[in-house]
Formats: sequence, C-alpha cells, structure tokens
Amino acid sequence: MLEAVLEGIPRVMNEPHAEDRRLAAGCARADPQIFEEVYRRFGDRMKSIAYNHLGTVADAEDAVQETFLKIHRAAATFTGEAAFTTWMYRILVNTCYDLLRKRKRRGEETSIEDDVRVISVDDLKRIALRRMLDGLPEQRRTVFMLFEIEGLSHAEIGGILNISEGNSKWILFATKKELRKQWKESR
Amino acid sequence: MTIRCEQLDDLLLEGDAASMDAAAKHAESCAACREILADWNDIAVAARSMRHTWESDLLWGRIRRGVVRTPLWRIAAAALLTIGIGGTTWYAVRDTTRDAAFGQTILSVAAVDEVERAEAAYVAAIGRLEEVAEPRLENAEGALMMNYREKLMVLDDAIAEVRSGIAENRKNAHLRRELLAMYSEKQRTLQAIVREGEHVSNE
Repeated sequence: MLEAVLEGIPRVMNEPHAEDRRLAAGCARADPQIFEEVYRRFGDRMKSIAYNHLGTVADAEDAVQETFLKIHRAAATFTGEAAFTTWMYRILVNTCYDLLRKRKRRGEETSIEDDVRVISVDDLKRIALRRMLDGLPEQRRTVFMLFEIEGLSHAEIGGILNISEGNSKWILFATKKELRKQWKESR
Repeated sequence: MTIRCEQLDDLLLEGDAASMDAAAKHAESCAACREILADWNDIAVAARSMRHTWESDLLWGRIRRGVVRTPLWRIAAAALLTIGIGGTTWYAVRDTTRDAAFGQTILSVAAVDEVERAEAAYVAAIGRLEEVAEPRLENAEGALMMNYREKLMVLDDAIAEVRSGIAENRKNAHLRRELLAMYSEKQRTLQAIVREGEHVSNE
C-alpha cells in the first residue's frame, strides 16, 4: 500500500534511482556481469564519444577501458546526484580531455584521422566539419558533439559538463553560429 | 504568428521542434534566413553522420581483465606454475625426441600424446600469466612496454604459423622444439612485463 503511494511521488534529487544504484554497486564490487551489462548497453556510445574526441579507434578504446577502471574505483562514491549514465559519460569526457592534454604536452597532432577514400559530397562535408571541430575550444566541441552527434539532451549535457541546461543551449547556439561562418567559407 | 528576421536567432537558440518549424515557415518567404537555416540543418546532418562505432572483440576482454584484478599471490603462483610446467615440458620433449623410433625428427604416437598433454598444460599456464601481464601492458606507456607488446605480437604470429605446421604433421619433432622455444620466449617476456609493471607501481 505504502509502496503504491510512494510510486507516484517523484524521487528526491540526491537519492539514486534503483537501477542506477544497482549498476553502481555492481561496478564497485567489480561484478563482471554488471560491467558486461554496462559495456553492452552503453559501450557503442562511449566508443563514439571517445572516437570523436580523440580521432583514432585505438585511442578511443584506451579511453573507454580507462573509463571503466575509473568507474570501478569511484563507483562506491556514486551519490546519485546525476544519473549513472551522466556520471559515466562525465568520467569518459574527462578521460578524453586528459588524453588530449597529454598529447598536447608531447606535441602530438590531435586531429581525427580522415577517411582515406572519399566517395561522396557527404563524406567531404563530414571531413570539413571534423576539421572545424578540431579548432574549437574543448567545452564547445564537447557540447556540439554530445548534442548533434550523440543526440543527448541539454539537461544530460549540463549534467556531464557541470553546466546549466540553459548554458549548454547557449554554447551550442554560439558554436553552430561560429561553425556556420566557416561552413559558408568552405563551400 | 508572424516571425521577423531578427527573431531567427532566438528560434535557433531554442532549437526545439516548434521553434525550428516556425523558423522554416519564415524562411519560405525570406531568402537570407533560408540560407542560414539551410546551413544550420546541413551542419546538423553532417554531424549526425559522424556517429561512429565499431565491433571490438578485444575491448571487452581488456576491460574485464583490467577491472577484475588478480591478487599478487596468484601472480606468483602463475609464474611458478609456468616455470614448473615449462621445465617438465622441456624434459619430456627432450626425452621423447631422443628415443623416437623414426629418427630425430619423427615422434612416436605415444610421445606425441605426451608432448601434447604437457604442451596444453604449458599453454594454459602461459594463458594465466598472460591474464596478469596484459592489463599492465595495455595500461603502461613508454618505449619498453611498446617493445614488449610488439614482441608478443610477433611471437603470437610465429606460434600460430608453427602450430598450423604441426597440425599438418603432428610427429614433427623439429616443429615441436621450435614451438617450445617460442612458448619459452613468450613466458620470459610475460614475466618481464609483470616484473616491470610491479616495478612501476612501486615507484
């Protein structure tokens, strides 16, 4: 009876959702089945986010692997302030930033490996956009990637980057305006 | 509702379906805004095509090995076991080849069975050592670890080649000896990686 009443009440912000709690607890105790579930459910998006930040499949896989290790180490401290996936993507994005900074310190190139075989106008557009994104500051680039490429909402992006939803919206708008200028020139 | 050109930015900032519909409606009668909107949508379409993922057979294995860490006593036990079985295998191969009925390069059926049993145990022990060494190898940076990684790849290729030769001729003692030498080298390399990893983590 009480459960039925409670079900209709929105959960308190800091109280983790049961599903998030289950995943976090499993990750904290290094439960291989939970890790596999997380990998199967979110691995594709994680690889895509990492690839678009780092530019190579090898680096993206390294970042995803590193992220899982960090998730394991930090899962016991998961508070539920954000959804488990938001928290996980935040770790991933920060891992990508760390790798990019490391690369920069070593003076390595950071651009994405272009397709060797360009076959259509769409491919050319995609390559042009990638190059434009390379020139953006990291936060702008990430907002653009998470929204336009990965299809996340501004609320999710805000949670990942620790900014407000409105700020995420504004950054995306300003970024697209800037990209549009270059887009026009590249035509 | 009539939209003016100055309001286009507000609609694009909002970006939801209703705002984009209103912008599109206005753009039908305004060439300048039509051009802006076309670029805006073009960028979004190009971005969507940048979503990139791929099948990776090895990544899950790497993650699993990295997360489910092996305790130190198991590392030591695996190393000891590998060394022990390695010695036994070497002894067995030496004896069986020495007593082979068909000369130095041909093994008897019984000897082949014995060698294959020892070999299987040796491979299993190396596999356990590999589980310990691999996360260290993948997480580590630096030229030394890169060299180890390349060396293991070369060894694995060579092992696969010799094994395919053995599959065609199980009694070829020469190939068996070559395979053993390669496994020994792989074992030494894996042990060096484990030692190096411990050295780094102690620093």
